[in-house]
Amino acid sequence: MPEAGEGAAPAPFRVLIVDDDPDMAGFLQMWLKREGMQTLIAQDGDSALVKIMTEAPDLVLCDVMMPGPDGFEICRRVKADESTALIPVVLVTALEDQDSRVRGIEAGADDFLSKPVRREELIARVKTLRRLHDTRKELEARRLAAEVQEKEAIRKTFSRYLSPQLAERVLSDAAGGQSLFRNLSERTAVVALFADLRGFTRLSETVPVSRIVPMLNEFFTVLTAAAHEHEGTVFSMAGDSLLVGFNVPVPQPDAAERAVACGRAMIGRFGPVAAGWAARYGFTLGIGIGIEAGEVVAGNVGAPSFVSYTIIGDAVNVAARLMQNAKANEILIGPRAALSLDRMLGRDTSLDRRELALKGKAGPVGVLALKVAA
Amino acid sequence: MNDETYVVTVQKDLEDLVPTFMSNRAKEVEALRAALDKGDMEKLRQLGHRMKGVGTSYGFEKVSELGKLIEDNARAIDKAALEGCLADYADYLAKVKVVYA
Repeated sequence: MPEAGEGAAPAPFRVLIVDDDPDMAGFLQMWLKREGMQTLIAQDGDSALVKIMTEAPDLVLCDVMMPGPDGFEICRRVKADESTALIPVVLVTALEDQDSRVRGIEAGADDFLSKPVRREELIARVKTLRRLHDTRKELEARRLAAEVQEKEAIRKTFSRYLSPQLAERVLSDAAGGQSLFRNLSERTAVVALFADLRGFTRLSETVPVSRIVPMLNEFFTVLTAAAHEHEGTVFSMAGDSLLVGFNVPVPQPDAAERAVACGRAMIGRFGPVAAGWAARYGFTLGIGIGIEAGEVVAGNVGAPSFVSYTIIGDAVNVAARLMQNAKANEILIGPRAALSLDRMLGRDTSLDRRELALKGKAGPVGVLALKVAA
Repeated sequence: MNDETYVVTVQKDLEDLVPTFMSNRAKEVEALRAALDKGDMEKLRQLGHRMKGVGTSYGFEKVSELGKLIEDNARAIDKAALEGCLADYADYLAKVKVVYA
């Protein structure tokens, strides 16, 4: 199998000749065509600049004195514009005209061709610049390929934490998402959701060990799918519990609503799985969920050999305590998350307000309890 | 002016371009004449500069030599010398013979 591009005719090397003397332009054109190059001609500075912008030649062969912007000015403008700066510009000057050469260097000229023009010198200079051009194009192609590869690696890394939609949004960020994570070793407002299995201890005592891991995998698959469906970021899985963050690493103004909807979806999605397990093992399991909002520190935490993207803070601790207090298929919502949920939950009849004593808290904490049908 | 016949050997590859080149030189003499009549030294300098660059590139060294003289004399505003250059140029163009090799 030929490699991509092999066998296809290489793109012709396109030279823009800028000279107000048609004889000189025709002379240069004839020799370049003999070498298999494509030529364009501009007879004054203004049309040269237009052709450079619209035709994107591979090289500009430019006389110095001409109507409109002269060769130095053309050179300066080409080099000042990011989109054209890499196009080599060769100024055609008299060999003895050292002043022009100095001005040309200052203007950013890549090379000089002496007048009168000798065919051998013309071809040698253009061929040298063509080789450089080809090398640059090849390096650019490699750089692009490496960039695609790097993006794919980032995508794979992200997809372990983020929903596919969220991963795409992060990747479409100009800096490939890296800036998002670089800046995250700082305080940020999040809504944390903790979920775990109610009855896991009994399960692990009853079910053969060889079945536990596949069951946990089934459980986490369901919960992760619900998290991704609501564009939550999965921060950790430990034992039978899962930590999901919202409003991180990208802002989500409806983060608390998303967290509650995610909790409901987790319980809803787990229902059929739990029913299957109940039929097989004879007891019913549910999910306990805790949600709280607040400022946390988000970032990559760990040792050089193992790093985990995580969130640390009081909101996470409270969400964990609420999860421990939640009954099967119940969502306990902390006071700070509840503040932004009035509109969503105000008329919810399954809502129950209660005071809970949480470990690490001086007084009782007012929470909302939401019972969800599996 | 003299009776010498100028023979210029031009690369065979340039044969197709030479008729246009020669006709442009004839127009150039007219342009130089008009500029000198008006005393337009800048125009004369530009035309001389152009002749200097294109002449030898095609193999016409005399055109480049005259171009340099015209450029220098225009800078010096030496009208008498410029008259001489123009006469030489017209004479050269009338007598030049081109052979291709």
